[in-house]
Amino acid sequence: MPVTVKVELFGIPRARAGVAQTTSVGHDLGDVISDMASRFPELAMSCIQGRHLKPGFTANLSGHRFVTDPDTLLSDGDSVLILSLDAGG
Amino acid sequence: MVSFPMSDVNMRREIPGYHGRYLRIDLSDGSSTPIPLGPQILRDYLGGSGLGVAILLHERAAEVDPLSPMAPIAFVFSPLVGSPLTTSAKFAVVSKSPLTNRINDSLASSGFALAGKKTGYDAIVLVGQARHRSILVIDDDQVRLESADDCWGLSNQETRDHLRLRLGNEFQTATIGQAGERQVRYATISHDGRHAGRGGSGAVLGSKNIKAIAVRGSHRPHWAEPAALVGLAKQLSEKSFGPATAKYRELGTASNLLTFNRLNVLPTRNFQEGSFDGAIAISPEELSVARDRARASCAACTIGCEHLYSMKNGSGSVRLEYENLFAFGPLCGIDDPEIVLEASRRCDEWGLDTISAGGTIAFAMECVQRNLLDEPWLKFGDGQSLLKALDSIVSGKGLGSLLAQGSRRMAHHIGHESIAFAPQVKGLELPGYDPRGLQTMALGFAVGTRGADHNRSGAYEVDFSEAVDRKHVGPESAHLAVETEDKAALMDSLILCKFLRGVFTDFFAESAEILQLVTGWDVTASELRETARRIVTAKKRFNILAGWTPDEDTLPRRMLQKPASDDLRGHLSLERLNELISAYNQARGWSPEGWLHPSDMQSEIF
Repeated sequence: MPVTVKVELFGIPRARAGVAQTTSVGHDLGDVISDMASRFPELAMSCIQGRHLKPGFTANLSGHRFVTDPDTLLSDGDSVLILSLDAGG
Repeated sequence: MVSFPMSDVNMRREIPGYHGRYLRIDLSDGSSTPIPLGPQILRDYLGGSGLGVAILLHERAAEVDPLSPMAPIAFVFSPLVGSPLTTSAKFAVVSKSPLTNRINDSLASSGFALAGKKTGYDAIVLVGQARHRSILVIDDDQVRLESADDCWGLSNQETRDHLRLRLGNEFQTATIGQAGERQVRYATISHDGRHAGRGGSGAVLGSKNIKAIAVRGSHRPHWAEPAALVGLAKQLSEKSFGPATAKYRELGTASNLLTFNRLNVLPTRNFQEGSFDGAIAISPEELSVARDRARASCAACTIGCEHLYSMKNGSGSVRLEYENLFAFGPLCGIDDPEIVLEASRRCDEWGLDTISAGGTIAFAMECVQRNLLDEPWLKFGDGQSLLKALDSIVSGKGLGSLLAQGSRRMAHHIGHESIAFAPQVKGLELPGYDPRGLQTMALGFAVGTRGADHNRSGAYEVDFSEAVDRKHVGPESAHLAVETEDKAALMDSLILCKFLRGVFTDFFAESAEILQLVTGWDVTASELRETARRIVTAKKRFNILAGWTPDEDTLPRRMLQKPASDDLRGHLSLERLNELISAYNQARGWSPEGWLHPSDMQSEIF
């Protein structure tokens, strides 16, 4: 059963998508990443490869758990954060 | 003007990438002596931080007061300086810290590294104290002191401009601002607008009556495989234009702000909270809309991470990094970008470490909030009071004389258990990562040889991954903190910028390849891993000689007693931190408490 999630973008993903947040529908993380790629071509070009994020980017569920596996199941009300991997500076 | 005699100026050893010697200048008695550095010491400690620590151990720096005349301060280059490798124009300033009384190695990038190495030395070590306020001029093999009477009291920028007129454009300078002159314990040394920022090396230079060092030279070491090195450097530059550095190039480090805010690890109001209501107002995303923004880069760098934002008061542009943004923004409860930029500008000019300045002022603000300090003008969220506090640090008036000591000394002065919320480890103020929500980083902060530091431990990378639950890290993850610390030790000794780390697939193996081409050594990834561990151990050895005890490897007590107020999951108890520290020490081959094996304490450095 697909669920609706909030997608929050930070850093380069936000700059490429041109939005800070949106919503998406899917069963798992890969569905959401694919959906974002289809809606935001510049985001897709820089940050997404199929159902995965490219190296240098990562996802986080609701501010808690970092995830990379596209088969990670989502729950209704989850937030998917997409951000640049490097945190230093 | 005083010219120094130099003994045995022709003593030089041919090691590709190196000059095979350092220059020891005694400012008190006028002697200037080249000291040989043999192939083994160079291979064991490489350059930058590693070689600097080895030299300081050789000079017996651990046992002396860091602001006494006999304390050495070393400006250390590396085998890669002067090569075509991107981001390699870097040097380390290594001394005992007047803020922590432990080892301090601060790195900066600039033309000073290039010109300094061309003087014909792998390091320049200053001991003693000049009789008068002076400029130290090193012009190839000639060393002299010139009067600094006409530039004492000037800012970093003013001093650099003054010396350009006086000495010419060929000289590159490292300067202190008014903070270094006053020996503020977190004063910086500045070069081309960049800073050797942490730990108070500017105060050490000020204590020696040295306002600036000016260097010029004509000696270039050769490389073992120049053609291959140029080819590899070209590849590295091309990679540095790619996605791994896009964040730094396009947005700068300040783009961490909103991410950290969302993850509840943005230290706010002296670490009382982990997120800040005013974060959006001071975020680079918002600043870019309202202000002109320009980009710049260090010497010999293809990344270009510097982002300068225009001031609305007409004071020009100010470089904004995550650390000064966090320290003068959320940490002090300030959501006015003009105040944050103005505070950053003043620190650049006066030569103050922004993290320690912001951390100490935020601590004082909380002391006022708790009625422990009778300075009612100093309040969280009051931008003018932040600027007034900064002014007082450099003038030395009123509260400034206390603020200039850093939060640990200030807490000891104030008493009332205020040390529990002084935001420091070993006396060094914490950078902008709340350790309760980044617990591998918490371990990195606690055991860090120079104190709480995000440049010597990159353990936040682990927390920003699937490898751990960042809010509940266990001892089985301690080796991950070791790995990031080893990587940092190698990068700081080669020296390469840490913003390049994402472009390497196998950092140790690729570093070995670089070093082979520069030096001709048959160095391997495995050897470099050992080298990194040796360097970290040497820093620990320095600290033990300086009086380190296991109880200083910890975090401020408040952080171990309760979670960040708005995130109950982010809790790290003293017991669990101690388990992490014990696991870390054992992963390093040290005793569970962190003592070195006697053989590591007694071995000859060189």
